[in-house]
Amino acid sequence: MWWVVTVVAVVVLNATYLTWLAARVDRLHARASAAASALDAHLVRRAVAAAALGEAIQVPTLALAARIALDARPEDRGAAENDLTRQLRTVVADPEAPVFAELVAVSRRVALTRQVHDDVVRDALAVRRRVPVRALGLARRHPRPGYFDVDDPSLEGAPRVPVAE
Amino acid sequence: MRVGLVCPYSFDVPGGVQLHVRDLAEALIRLGHEVSVLAPADDDEALPPYAVSAGRAVPVPYNGSVARLAFGPLSAARVRRWLGTGDFDVLHVHEPFTPSLSMLAVLSARGPVVATFHTAMTRSRAMAAAQGVLQLVSEKITGRIAVSELARKVQVEHLGGSAWQIPNGVDVARYATAVPLPGWPGEDGSIGFLGRFTEPRKGFRVLLDAYRRLAERRPATRLLVAGPGDQDEVRGGVPALVADRITFLGKVSETDKARMLRSVDIYVAPNTHGESFGMILTEAMAAGTPVVASDMDAFRRVTENGRAGALFPTGDAHALAATLARLLDAPDERTVLAARGREVAAGYDWAVLAERVLEVYATAIEATAGVVLDELPGGTW
Repeated sequence: MWWVVTVVAVVVLNATYLTWLAARVDRLHARASAAASALDAHLVRRAVAAAALGEAIQVPTLALAARIALDARPEDRGAAENDLTRQLRTVVADPEAPVFAELVAVSRRVALTRQVHDDVVRDALAVRRRVPVRALGLARRHPRPGYFDVDDPSLEGAPRVPVAE
Repeated sequence: MRVGLVCPYSFDVPGGVQLHVRDLAEALIRLGHEVSVLAPADDDEALPPYAVSAGRAVPVPYNGSVARLAFGPLSAARVRRWLGTGDFDVLHVHEPFTPSLSMLAVLSARGPVVATFHTAMTRSRAMAAAQGVLQLVSEKITGRIAVSELARKVQVEHLGGSAWQIPNGVDVARYATAVPLPGWPGEDGSIGFLGRFTEPRKGFRVLLDAYRRLAERRPATRLLVAGPGDQDEVRGGVPALVADRITFLGKVSETDKARMLRSVDIYVAPNTHGESFGMILTEAMAAGTPVVASDMDAFRRVTENGRAGALFPTGDAHALAATLARLLDAPDERTVLAARGREVAAGYDWAVLAERVLEVYATAIEATAGVVLDELPGGTW
């Protein structure tokens, strides 16, 4: 009699755990995909703003870099975005240039979104490595998320921070 | 947007994290957002109108000091009720890796969670043992903010996450409009110091030594000292004539701190080493008081390499006395330093930093589908 109760209890506990784990896998992947869309949107915003600026201040290399970033295939995207960051830094660093406050703000959002994206991806990849997730293929429905590997896109220096007591 | 802030420490007791939460909440409210703060409190009536009490906090020894925390089934129930009725667009917790309301809130929340890390806590044995729980807490946090480079490093090196750096802010208006204490700063020059003056790394000895030299030639210049410590010990160590011209305020409230900073011609930060009080310089700058600081990394950064404040070689009382004598006789130079100081302080104004925090909220919301809540559907933003 007792072994029936024990078996039922073990089955119920296992089922509960696996349901919870599957929900966790789904949640992390949903978040990774939402973060990837957000990152894509902010990168497009940045490239559009850079293209407009490149034409307005007559810097063809900037406008070109922005077009290339907008048209890049996924596998070339990182390199294209890095090139755009370099072009933007050159323009912004020019002491004669006006203050491109909006572009700095857009770039900050790109940097922030990329950081959030990579953190979420790291959590999703960690959960994919867990034994029950691999054994039962709990992540099979989700494409494997990947880090967005680019140089720091922010245009301002590291924020000045006083050391707290 | 609707923001739910969780403060792990009791609002009744003054502290850095509590002040940070209060200032952030008020800055967000001024920007037109709806804010509710959940914090432990013994006395509900002492709380500001936007705060909700999570019940009594229990003193717990933690990290070498006593923290007042609320943790347990009763607190958990209150956290859930607050989340359930709050309908927040984003939940922003502080110090979520200490067993506290913040941790409970993260574990009950679903949806955009932003966390701010204040202390540079190192990985402890307790943390290693609770690795599984911490991973669950960490996974639910979408946006991470560190208030200092040190706190950020801990995130990166020990906890395997990254963090966006947004420094502690200063409520510039409060400092800029504070009324000086009666009779200060006076006609003959006055110098200010704030902090535990008996603690060697605060460098009060260096200032006292410099002041003694200065007082020989400037018999009317006064020294205003705020902060806890034994004044008799200080008075006993200097000639009576000098001791008579030192005014001790003792431990001061936030209001009196702002007034004190407005009451002097020069503020001195003579720290000799250690993780030093960089915030006090931005506060003095916000008060429009020129600052003189020892030449340490943290102070170099805040004063922009001496542009917005005079630097002297760390621990050199002779050089400090010379710098003070020069500045006391040069009102124009003091005006220039004060003006540059105000510019620097403006960059740390809560109004500016709250906008940065809002960017993190927006990013966290974008990267999370859903609402900050257990079961209730229907998030808006």
